Amino acid sequence: MSVLRSEWTKLRSVRSTWIAAASAVAAGVALSVLGVSDLLGTPPSELSAGWDPTAESLKGFLFAQLVIGMLGALAITPEYATGMIGTSLVFVPSRRRLLAAKTAVVAAVGLATALVTTLLSFAVVQLMVRGADLPAAGLGDPGVARALLGGAAYLTLVALLGLAVGALVRSATSSLALLVGALLLVPALGPGLPGVLGDWFGRFWPITAGQAAYAVVPVDGALAPGPGILLLAGAAVAAGLAAQLVFRRRDI
Amino acid sequence: MHGIRAERLTKRYGATVAVDDLSFTAQPGVITGFLGPNGAGKSTTLRMLTGLTRPTSGAITIGGRRLADLDDPARTVGALLDARAVHPHRTAAQHLLAFAQAAGLDRRRVGEVLELVGLGAAGDRRAGEFSLGMQQRLGIATALLGDPGVLVLDEPLNGLDPEGIRWLRTLLRDLAREGRTILFSSHLMSEMELTAHHLVVVGRGRLIAEATLDDFVRAHTTRAVTVRAGSPDRLGGALARAGVDFAAQPDSSLLVTGADAPTVGRIAAAEGLALDELSPVRESLEDVFLRLTHEATDYEGVAA
Repeated sequence: MSVLRSEWTKLRSVRSTWIAAASAVAAGVALSVLGVSDLLGTPPSELSAGWDPTAESLKGFLFAQLVIGMLGALAITPEYATGMIGTSLVFVPSRRRLLAAKTAVVAAVGLATALVTTLLSFAVVQLMVRGADLPAAGLGDPGVARALLGGAAYLTLVALLGLAVGALVRSATSSLALLVGALLLVPALGPGLPGVLGDWFGRFWPITAGQAAYAVVPVDGALAPGPGILLLAGAAVAAGLAAQLVFRRRDI
Repeated sequence: MHGIRAERLTKRYGATVAVDDLSFTAQPGVITGFLGPNGAGKSTTLRMLTGLTRPTSGAITIGGRRLADLDDPARTVGALLDARAVHPHRTAAQHLLAFAQAAGLDRRRVGEVLELVGLGAAGDRRAGEFSLGMQQRLGIATALLGDPGVLVLDEPLNGLDPEGIRWLRTLLRDLAREGRTILFSSHLMSEMELTAHHLVVVGRGRLIAEATLDDFVRAHTTRAVTVRAGSPDRLGGALARAGVDFAAQPDSSLLVTGADAPTVGRIAAAEGLALDELSPVRESLEDVFLRLTHEATDYEGVAA
């Protein structure tokens, strides 16, 4: 408990945490609003068959996920940048406990940020959609609550991935580069690869797979929501274990 | 109270040997100065002591145990490894609170150590606004949080102003008097001379000397005599005939290393020479240190 309290103090006492959390919410909502505003003039009859107002309202994840991933990375990279990690390990020599405590506080802050981002994006976009007389989603509609929880789980897992990446590469800039690659570039470019490789990236790249968790209308070729989020969770656990292993073995 | 013991401690980075078969001890109640030029392996040794770096072989222990094996590390050992190791946006009090919580200490300790290091009024200021001297004080406060019996300080005097240096000396002496083990490093002999009781001198990762300050002075300072006469040549001739080693100095005095002042005086008197100056000189500890570490120094400045 004492280490958890310490890590919470560290995380809450720097501006970057709150800036990241606020930016994730703001960017997520703003980008979702921007994404849907294009469609507002469309007559309902011209909407595509796969119209998914829930998934549509979470388009802002594209950017929010990057900020939330950095929130995770920033729970550890400044300790390396400043050298404070040395002091931390004198007070808590068990590296396993130190990283476990960081994981717990990042999960908590990540989940809170994820829930606000998800619910606010959903609420604002549904209001706009309803105002334009398009079919909107309600919390009681089949699959919607599950998709929103899936969305929050997705962003939380991305925060934990960010922490693992930060622990592995020990630098904020390298973490950002890796997260841009994993969250944006690979999902965008991977499916374009020829043959089986492209199919694999389109279905099984953990980020792409996890995005199935917040769709209500199934996307062609994508995994189902359950297996999708499990695959992402598996990747986050694997990255977390790799970070533990390296953190425990490596000289500071 | 625990002591610190390094036993055949070695750290290699590829082909580079940072610490080479180093053994020494630091005893409770004693201020041990860990002295060596930059790059001598002091910081690497202290990082192995605090468990941040693993030794290639050998061990460095606190009361016979590695830091990671201590039951209550924060109440056993406090360390200042790098005064700049603070998040610039965190206030001094928040910085200390995080570590107090990690060690399960009462949060009142934060205010106490801030007062102790003279930062009582600066607790709510961001550490990034601190001067290096204030950061050193914050680092010392962090090391003292758990009221530990063993203190490890890497270059704690860096960046302190003269008043701060005097303050830290007094603090370290008081802490040692309470029976604590204090190991602090420096690359400046002049700092050690006034603070440490016991010296561990290293160069290129190897032990050069380990002794009490007094023994070190006795063993390593060469005694010499400066002598000046109206005719340096005649004096030189007399000394040479007496078989005494000396060196001519640029200011036309002679530095005699082979005899003490009374002997030099008698030689001059026998020659009928009046002396303008006859004074014993003691090599400064700084000079001794530089001489001892000369061969072991990696980076030498070029004398201006």
